[in-house]
Amino acid sequence: MSTRSSKTDLLQGTLDLMVLRTLEAMGPQHGFGLAQRIGQISAGMLDLNQGTLYPALLRLEQRGWIASRWGASDANRRARFYELTKAGRKQIAREQDDWARTVALMQRFLRPVE
Amino acid sequence: MRTLWSRFRALFSAARSERELNEEVETHLAMRAAELRAQGLDAAAARAAARREFGGIDQMKEEYRDRRAIPWIESLTRDLRHGLRGLRHNPAFTAAAVLSLALGIGANTAIFSFVNALMLHMLPVEEPEQLVNLYRTGGWGKGYASYPLYLEFRKRSDLFSGVLARSGSHEVRFDAGHATRVDYARQEMVSGNYFEVLGVKPAMGRLFTEDDNRTPHAHPLAILSYDFWRTRLGMDPGILGRVLHVDEQPLTVIGVAAPGFHGVEVENRADVWVPAMMARGDIMQPGMHWIWIMARRRPEIPRSRMQAAANTIMQQYLTSVYGRQRNTAFGKWALDQKIEVHDAGVGLSTLRDAFGKPLTILMAAVGLVLLIACANVANLLIARGAARSREIAMRFSLGATRARLMRQLLMESLLLALLGSALGLAFAAWGARYLLLFLPAAAGDAFTITPDATVLAFTLGISVLSAILFGLAPAVRATALDPAAALKDGGSQQTGGAARAGIRRTLVVVQVALSVVLVVTAALFARSLAGLRAIHPGFTARNVATFDLDFPRAWKRADKARHRELLGARIAALPGVTSFSYGAPGPYRGGSWSAGIRVPGSARTAREGVEVDIQGVGPAYFRTIGTRLVTGREFDQGDMRATRKIAVVNAAFLREFFPGLRDPTGRILSFDDAKPEGGDPTYIVGLAPDILHEGLKTAAKATVYLPLGHDVTETEFDPTLLVQSQLPSRTLFPEIRRVLSQIDPEVALTDPRTLSERVDDSIFAERAVAALSEFFGGLALMLAAIGIYGVMAYGVARRTAEIGLRIALGAAPARIAWLVLGDGLLLIAIGLSIGLPLSLAAGRVSASLLYGIQPDDPLTLVLTAIVLMAIGVSAAFLPARRAATIAPIEALRHE
Repeated sequence: MSTRSSKTDLLQGTLDLMVLRTLEAMGPQHGFGLAQRIGQISAGMLDLNQGTLYPALLRLEQRGWIASRWGASDANRRARFYELTKAGRKQIAREQDDWARTVALMQRFLRPVE
Repeated sequence: MRTLWSRFRALFSAARSERELNEEVETHLAMRAAELRAQGLDAAAARAAARREFGGIDQMKEEYRDRRAIPWIESLTRDLRHGLRGLRHNPAFTAAAVLSLALGIGANTAIFSFVNALMLHMLPVEEPEQLVNLYRTGGWGKGYASYPLYLEFRKRSDLFSGVLARSGSHEVRFDAGHATRVDYARQEMVSGNYFEVLGVKPAMGRLFTEDDNRTPHAHPLAILSYDFWRTRLGMDPGILGRVLHVDEQPLTVIGVAAPGFHGVEVENRADVWVPAMMARGDIMQPGMHWIWIMARRRPEIPRSRMQAAANTIMQQYLTSVYGRQRNTAFGKWALDQKIEVHDAGVGLSTLRDAFGKPLTILMAAVGLVLLIACANVANLLIARGAARSREIAMRFSLGATRARLMRQLLMESLLLALLGSALGLAFAAWGARYLLLFLPAAAGDAFTITPDATVLAFTLGISVLSAILFGLAPAVRATALDPAAALKDGGSQQTGGAARAGIRRTLVVVQVALSVVLVVTAALFARSLAGLRAIHPGFTARNVATFDLDFPRAWKRADKARHRELLGARIAALPGVTSFSYGAPGPYRGGSWSAGIRVPGSARTAREGVEVDIQGVGPAYFRTIGTRLVTGREFDQGDMRATRKIAVVNAAFLREFFPGLRDPTGRILSFDDAKPEGGDPTYIVGLAPDILHEGLKTAAKATVYLPLGHDVTETEFDPTLLVQSQLPSRTLFPEIRRVLSQIDPEVALTDPRTLSERVDDSIFAERAVAALSEFFGGLALMLAAIGIYGVMAYGVARRTAEIGLRIALGAAPARIAWLVLGDGLLLIAIGLSIGLPLSLAAGRVSASLLYGIQPDDPLTLVLTAIVLMAIGVSAAFLPARRAATIAPIEALRHE
C-alpha cells in the first residue's frame, strides 16, 4: 500500500506532512484547494498526480490526524472539507522534529569534513 | 481508538463512502476545469486537461478502496493468526482455559435452552404479548374452567378484543381409516373463534369460524396441524374432505393450519383441532371444568383494571350459579373460586408452573459458574502475561502502540472464548439430554430442546462477554509495564509481580466467595431432597408396576369392570406376580375426587357436611402397594358386589372426625350430607395409615376408601392398575401387554410406570435442582481449587529466593509449609466472609423451593465452610511442600 507518485519519488511520509502543514497554514480546505496549494508551494519541483492526494487524505483521516465534513465551496458547490485535528497538530510537531533531525544529520554528511 | 472506530464504521458504510468519493472526484475535476475555462480553454479541452492532471482515476479509486477496507481486515487476520499461534504454542494453558470456559458456557447454554423453550419463546401467533390466560383457582383443580363461565367472559368486548375457549391438548384415539392397532393423536377442542383470535392462517382449506361451533354435537369437522399432516398423513394432497376418526368420532377435514403452529401449549403440541361443541356430554353444565379461557386483551386496558374486572365477573357468575347453596359445604367450595389474569404470550405450560422457578435459580447458578470459570481464565492469562512480559516489551520498543497490543491480547481472549463455546455447545447438548431425563415422560412428550437462533445468539453473547470479562484486566495489566525495565529484567517473574499477585489473589477470593454461594445452595437443595426422600409415603412396595387402560368409547362401566376382573385374574396367574389391585384416582396420578359427608357422633359434622377425599379401590389394594392396616380389614373380592356399604378410613380421617378414638371400626358415615345425622349408612371396617396419594409435600387429607363400584363412585374415572411382582418392570410390562391384547386388542395400555417412578416424577423438579446444583457446586469447587493452587504455586515460585534465604538462616521447613498453607487459608477465610452473607441473600430467593430446611440452616453453613477449608488446604498442599523443600543453593541459582 505504498503511495505512488509518477514523476518525483516521494519519501515515505512526505506527502502526509505536506498535507498536514498545508492544512495548518490554510485552515479547512477541500481536496482541490489542497492540490493547488501543494502544487504552488512546491513550485513545479514536485509533479504529483492530483488524484494521489485522496488515498493519502483517507489514510490521514483513518489515523485521526485530520477530519472531514461536507460543506459548500466558494462557487457554491458541495465539497468535502478537510481540517486538522488536535492529534494532527501534535503529529506535525513530532514530524517536524524528525525532519529537523534528519536534515541536520544529512547535512553533517554533505558538508565537507573540516 | 478513533482510527479503529472510523474503520469499523467504514465497514458498514462502504456504499455511502463510494458515492462520496465519486462526488469528491467530480468536484475536483469540475473546479479545475472551471479554472482552465477561465483561462480561455473550451469546455471539452478544459475537462480533458483536468482529467490528465488528476491522473488515473480508476487506479486511484482502487487504491482508495483498498486503503478503506484492508487495514481493518488485515490487522484482524494478523491478530487472529498471532492469537492462534500463541494458543498453539502453549497447549496446556489453552486446554485449561478452553475447558474451564467450555464447562461454564456449556452449562449456561444447556440451562438457557430450557429457559428459552419454556419461558421466552413466544407463540407463533399475531401479537402474542396481548394474549392472557384467565386462570381459575379454588375447588376442582386449577386453570381450567367451564363453558358457561367462558360465555360470561366472552360478553366483555370492552376488556378483550376476543375471547377463546380450548380444551387441553389431550391424547385421543386416532384412525385415518386403516389402523391395525390402537393409535393416538393430540386433540384440542376449540371455540369457533380460536384461530381468528390468535390470528393463525390456513395453509390449506379453511379454519373454523363461529358458524362451525353453534350446536352441540352438530359440527363433525377437523383441522390438522401442518406437521401432523406432513408426518402422519404423508402430506396427502386430497386431505380436504377426507373423513378421519378422532376420539372415535368421524370428522371431515376442512383445513390445515399454517406451518409452525401447534396450539397454545408449550410441551403438548396439538395435532387435530375439533369444535368444542363436539365434546361429549353436556358441555353447558357449570360443574364441568374442561376448558381453558384465553383472551386477547385490549392494549389500552391496564392490568390492574383487568384483574379487578375479572374478579367482578367471576363473583357475579358464581353468585348466579351457586348463590342458593351458599350454606352447604359444596356451596362454600364452589363460591371460593377466583380468576387470575396471567400473561399467555409464551404459551401455556404446566411444566413451567412446576419448573419455572427452579429453572430460574439454576440459570443464576450457572451464571455464577461461568463467572468462576472467567476468574480462572483471567488468572491463567495474568500468569501467562508475566511469562510473556519480555515479548510484549520487545514489541513495544519496536513501535507497537498499546491499543494495538491490547487488541491483540483481547483477540486471543476472544479466540479462547469462541473455542470454549464451540466445545461448550457439545457439552450443552449432552447436558440438556441429562436434564430431560428428570422430566416426567408425560411432561417432555413433544418437548424438544434444539438450539435455535436465540440460544446460539445467547451462547455467542456470553462468550464475547466473558472474553471481555476475563481478558480485559490481564490485557491492561500486561501492557502497562515499563518496557526498558522488563527487557533488562529478562522477563523474570519479579517485574510487576507484586501487583500481579494482588490481582490474582483478589480473583481467587472472588472465586471462593462465589463457590460458597453455589455450595451452600447445592447443600440446601440436597438436604431438602433428602428430607423429601425421608418422608414415608405410606406404602413400602416400590417395585409395583402401574398402568392405565384406555377403552373404546362405547364400553360401559360394567364392560370395563368385567374386563378388569378378567385381566386381573390373568395377570395374577403370571409367574412372579404376587398381588394385583386397582385404585381410582390411585397413587401419584394427579386428579382428586371428593364428596361431602356427615359422620354421626362427630362434632365436626354436627352443623354442616364436610368434603373428604375419596379413593375407589379394588380388593387387596393396601397389600399390593405394601401398606399394613392399623386396625380392621381391607376389601376382598366379595365386598366388591356386596350391598352392605363399607369403607376404610385413614388416620387423618380419624384425627378430624374422631379425635381421641383409636379404633373407628363399626362407626358409620353417610354421603347424604343434607341432614345432620346423614342418611344411608356406610360402615367403617378398617383404619389405614396416612398414604400420601397426591405427592410427598401434600399432607394426607381425611380420606375415605370405598370399594370401586360404591354408589358414590358412580361418576368414577377409570382406575390405575397395580401389579406387585418380583419381576423388573422391563420384563413385566411386555407380559402384561401380551395378556391384554389376548383378551381384547381394542383396549390399550397407557402410562406404564413403576410406583417408585411415579413418586420420583412427582418430585422431578426437586430432583433436577438438587442434582444439577450439586454438579454446579462441584464444578465451582474444582475451578476454585485450581485457582488457589495456581496462585499459591505462583507465590512460592516468586518468593523462592526469600524462602531459600530463610531456610538457609535456619527456618524449619514445617514453619515454611505453614506459612504457605496459612496464606491459602487466609484467602479462603476472606472468600468465606464475603460468600456466606451472599449465600444468605441468595437463600431468600430459593427459600420457597426448600422443604423442611431454612436457607440460613447453621449446619449447612458450617459444613460449607469446612468443605471450603479442606479444599483450600489440599489445593495449597503441593505448593506448601514445594516451599518446604526448597534448597538454599537452588534458590540462589534462581536469582
